[in-house]
Amino acid sequence: MDASKRRAGERAETQPLDVLIIDDEENFLEACSQTLQTGGYRVATAKNGTEGLKLAGESHPNVVLLDLKMPGMSGLDLLGQLTKTDPSAVPVVVTGHGTVDSAVESMKLGAFDFLTKPFEPEKLLETVRRGLSLSALKKEAQAAGAAEEQRHDKYDLLLQGLDVLGEAYSLGLEKRQLLDELAYLESEARYHAESLGQIKKKERAILDIRNELREADAIMKKYDFQKNALIQVLLDIQEKFRWLPRHILSWISGRLNIPLREIYVIANFYEAFSLEPRGRHTIQVCTGTACHVRGASETLTRVSAVLGIEAGQTDSRQQFTLETVHCIGCCALAPVVQIDSQYYRDPSRSKLEKVIKSLEKEEAQACLA
Amino acid sequence: MSRLETPADLEKLREEIIAGRNAKEKWVAVCAGTGCRAYGAETLADAFEEEIEKRGLSDRIGVRRTGCHGFCERGPLVVIQPSDACFLGAQPKNVPAIIDKAVTGEGATDKLLYLDEDSGKRLGNLDEIPFYKYQKRVLLANNVRIDAANILDYIAVGGYSALAKALSGMTPEAVLEEVKKANLRGRGGGGFPAGIKWETTRKAQGEPKYVIVNADEGDPGAYMDRSLLEGNPHSVLEGLILGAYAIGASEGFIYVRQEYPLARTHAAKALEQAREYGLLGKNLLGSGFSFDVKIHRGAGAFVSGESSALMSAIEGRVGEPRPKYIRTSEKGLWGKPSCLNNVETWAYVPQIIDKGADWFRSMGTEKSKGTKIFSLVGKVKNTGLVEVPMGIPLRDIIFKIGGGIPNGKKFKAVQTGGPSGGVIPESLLDLPVAFDELSQVGSMMGSGGMIVMDENTCMVDTARYYINFLAHESCGKCVPCREGLRQMLAILERITKGWGEEQDLDTLDELAEFMEAASLCALGQSAPFPVASTLKYFRDEYLEHIREKRCSAGVCTALIAYQIDQERCKACGACLRACPVGAVNKSEDKVFTIVQAKCIKCGACYTACPDKCRAVIKVPAYTIQNQPAAAATLPAGKQ
Ligand SMILES: Cc1cc2nc3c(=O)[nH]c(=O)nc-3n(C[C@H](O)[C@H](O)[C@H](O)COP(=O)(O)O)c2cc1C
Ligand code: FES
Repeated sequence: MDASKRRAGERAETQPLDVLIIDDEENFLEACSQTLQTGGYRVATAKNGTEGLKLAGESHPNVVLLDLKMPGMSGLDLLGQLTKTDPSAVPVVVTGHGTVDSAVESMKLGAFDFLTKPFEPEKLLETVRRGLSLSALKKEAQAAGAAEEQRHDKYDLLLQGLDVLGEAYSLGLEKRQLLDELAYLESEARYHAESLGQIKKKERAILDIRNELREADAIMKKYDFQKNALIQVLLDIQEKFRWLPRHILSWISGRLNIPLREIYVIANFYEAFSLEPRGRHTIQVCTGTACHVRGASETLTRVSAVLGIEAGQTDSRQQFTLETVHCIGCCALAPVVQIDSQYYRDPSRSKLEKVIKSLEKEEAQACLA
Repeated sequence: MSRLETPADLEKLREEIIAGRNAKEKWVAVCAGTGCRAYGAETLADAFEEEIEKRGLSDRIGVRRTGCHGFCERGPLVVIQPSDACFLGAQPKNVPAIIDKAVTGEGATDKLLYLDEDSGKRLGNLDEIPFYKYQKRVLLANNVRIDAANILDYIAVGGYSALAKALSGMTPEAVLEEVKKANLRGRGGGGFPAGIKWETTRKAQGEPKYVIVNADEGDPGAYMDRSLLEGNPHSVLEGLILGAYAIGASEGFIYVRQEYPLARTHAAKALEQAREYGLLGKNLLGSGFSFDVKIHRGAGAFVSGESSALMSAIEGRVGEPRPKYIRTSEKGLWGKPSCLNNVETWAYVPQIIDKGADWFRSMGTEKSKGTKIFSLVGKVKNTGLVEVPMGIPLRDIIFKIGGGIPNGKKFKAVQTGGPSGGVIPESLLDLPVAFDELSQVGSMMGSGGMIVMDENTCMVDTARYYINFLAHESCGKCVPCREGLRQMLAILERITKGWGEEQDLDTLDELAEFMEAASLCALGQSAPFPVASTLKYFRDEYLEHIREKRCSAGVCTALIAYQIDQERCKACGACLRACPVGAVNKSEDKVFTIVQAKCIKCGACYTACPDKCRAVIKVPAYTIQNQPAAAATLPAGKQ
């Protein structure tokens, strides 16, 4: 924490603007400022990025609404400069058609929320209200930080946590569930500003969720967000996460506009999907016909004894999942066991123990590293 | 590499590749099919590359990782070309000797050659080995010669010449006529003539039209489609393009089972390379014809292999079948005319166009032309993939090619057609393998699974196995299939536990009749076949389970018990170590016994007991309640 932050703290006393709106569309500027002024906020407007930056430098607005598509300086550039020159301002991005790319990009640059035109006045007011409370929180933290040097670390944490919240908001777009969760976290952050350690933990959880949702987005993008690619998307998700977590399924449901119920029908119908976490390694014992007549049931008992779990189970450390399959297409070597991608012809107990042990060792090494 | 703009470009490229290849005197073809990979074929191929490099022979000898050679039982397989010298079960330590042999003709490789048990002679050549000698390898022939990941290999063996021929000199109608004339019947199960299906789609109203490869291969015990797609993906692709041309389709799909990642990778690579060379995409070989293909992964459901279910799955929905009165060839994918054929069916098309319908018709029987690949597995000595002309007797496949039953056991039955097929007993072994002949005896051709069963296989258990499989895989949409299978399974489980009654057999017959008549799709309609055929040919076995509470194959665990024959036991302790539940007891004076109350009858002790002792024995369960040692032992030998 440095001088700029302290300055920001001092600034807090000088009654800044509530909202600065930057957009090239006059009608939009007018409509928004009217709505906000009626709501009792102090509002200023600017028609392009350069003008907007200048104004922001002079009047230190708490919330900045900015359009992504403007002639001259682009919205993203503006966003980048704005967060640098005035870190306490809370930027909200407005765009004609919200695409994932610009959402993610602007989120990376520090946008707090994302409004897609056209929107209801209530939506605007709600967003600004939340932005203002975040801004107050930010400034409070900065002020306190200025006063107490030795507690900077903690405030750092708070700020980071809040930033993550902001990022998650903008990724969350209109997702109710995530919004509710985040709103709850936000109020927690406010009331328990002392227990910042907690926030750190939640921050990590949110970060994880955010990263997971991003990965899900990347997967869906591979299939151009096509509805009919659902099974392919789910196969990729299953491969990546080793199961189909609920929050990802509801995310997909929103993105591809498929009812969650239908996604669950598919997840239940096909064998490839698992609704519970699977182990990092999969051990498949083939019980296809060729393997069955050559004594697969004995092989299964052997494998199950070595692993200490039954078919269909995962061990408590989520290392191994044991399952039976109807033919893995290696019938000439029946009975066959597949461990990850390697096939084994009726492995003996000691062979199995050796393979399992080497996998465990790999795991342990990966943990250390 | 630039796009091929005309058929002449393709020919020029082919000549260049062949000229380049001829510079090398020899090729070492290491089988990198799934089976051989399990035996360590990858490291073996690496060892060859290293050794050749070390000896400075890289200019003269090339190494090629190929698709499945078929003789999976004896892998990893190595074939030296062009002489076709064949080495079985080679390990990296054998590499120097094999190279010596390839270069100088001398090398200590005798142990790697096939041993003919009758004559005691070692056979060094592919064509001499009985497993290959009695086959007729048309589709599989190129698996040994090409690296599936390299389109140039396929082109070098004549690949895409059929496509060039069709695009430059044949109308779509002419291609269709050739396939119709050949009477190529679907290899995926039903044996429906491909040409007639193509014509239906061609004539059907609606654009665009789709062509689809069915590589779902749900039949447990079969892996032909996998090996073709893994070993020679371009042959399937070329067939698909030819089909699209004949039908007038602009888009194609390859529906691959999720369990086959290598097949998927190779298919994807084939698509990519074909696109690069202008054999897929816009304006193929300058003909004006455009066509492209996507891969769709199945997500694991047997019923999704059925045509309408498969198309629903591609549409991203639950893969359930719909009633047959709307044919997918007229209204399939997204309601458009769609032609679905099996991998093997498509792979045959280039050869038929290239060599002509008459060539194809010269193989096989009156009504079943060409060759068929079978996955010869189960209780047979030479397991693997075999390709034979239609009409060859089952006996030849199992005994001449397969080498008969291992461990001196007696043949009991062979199962064909997977869960929709049936068992065929010894008395019918001279039956020619062909579509209609197999159906007449209550089985079917199916996709090519051929599971051999010996005296240690229980027929009631086999029926129970299939019904259990089908009950699990039934989509549950129609009552006859869902409930019929549930009832059948309950009855069969009762019988295998020794609680069956004779009237149960009549109920099974009734259920079978009802399911066959009233089920929605072929899964339910053919589901009773495994039961009906075992009942027909092995009724005695059912009766033995019901009346005597005895499973003479020693499979039905409820009806058997394990015991240790003290006279034969050498107290080695192998059974004790093998038992997963600690049911083997060792007394102070080293007498081993099995505690029946703890025993879960997994058979681990039975397998662990050394062959020379055979002290662990199976006895009928009812005998152990009264007397300790068993007079009535069941046949010995591993399951
Ligand atoms: C339950 C069920 C499963 C099937 N599974 C497969 C399969 O895995 N592979 C296949 O090629 N055909 C399968 N079929 C047959 C297909 O419905 C279809 O007839 C076939 O793919 C057509 O190709 P063909 O005419 O070349 O044989 C299945 C049929 C049913 C009823
Ligand atoms: S039956 Fe086990 S691999 Fe095919």
